[in-house]
Amino acid sequence: MSTIPRASSAIPGQPPSFGTALAHQPGLQSRFGALYSTFWMQGVVDHRTKEITRMRNARVTDCGF
Amino acid sequence: MDTPAACAQNPHMGWLPPADDGASFEALLRHRPELAALYKQFYGTFWDDALLPRALLELCRLRIAQVHGCDAELAIDDEQAALSPERRQALERWQDADCYAEDERAALVLAEKMPWQHHEITDGEFAHMRSLLGERGAVALMVALALFDANCRLKLVFGLNPAPATVPQPASAAGPLY
Repeated sequence: MSTIPRASSAIPGQPPSFGTALAHQPGLQSRFGALYSTFWMQGVVDHRTKEITRMRNARVTDCGF
Repeated sequence: MDTPAACAQNPHMGWLPPADDGASFEALLRHRPELAALYKQFYGTFWDDALLPRALLELCRLRIAQVHGCDAELAIDDEQAALSPERRQALERWQDADCYAEDERAALVLAEKMPWQHHEITDGEFAHMRSLLGERGAVALMVALALFDANCRLKLVFGLNPAPATVPQPASAAGPLY
């Protein structure tokens, strides 16, 4: 388990986070954003079900973030 | 679990029929064409934009597939990674082999743990990898490992059969996704 932030923020003035670390790779960041936002905003699975599975996956993988 | 009739008629597929005439990972994802296109753009970035050394990427992809026992992923060979038979053969016991460079070994330490031991990746292991690949390389590698892990899980859950292929690259925005 990480005890310190392992990747720095690529955005000055902002703390390390998933988004600011991913900003070290702008191409990856923008394409991930396009994919993940489409996943949430569109589709045949309702939002509630997606959120339940997201939360359950975080619990199973013990991801407190 | 019962085998759906559509799958029983198609020996290449597991729980879902392909969305077109193919029997590939991409054909399956095309049940959601908008997501398939965006996924190819995202995953293909590693090769389209050459974010990491090609051989290092291939070693990690294959090692994660070995950890998962994912034959469908192991059947794919990135031609341009140009792994020697020795390096490919030794990958299951890479810790004991001397045919991997220091940056490859540092990446394989993390690849080894990503599927089932992600909480056991230490600060020291991460820092060592980052010292060799740099901050941008470290971020790229961790996203790559997560996607290799996810792809194996998808292929295993969907029951995709191995389709051996030597490919120009495992994925790209404009080309196929394997």
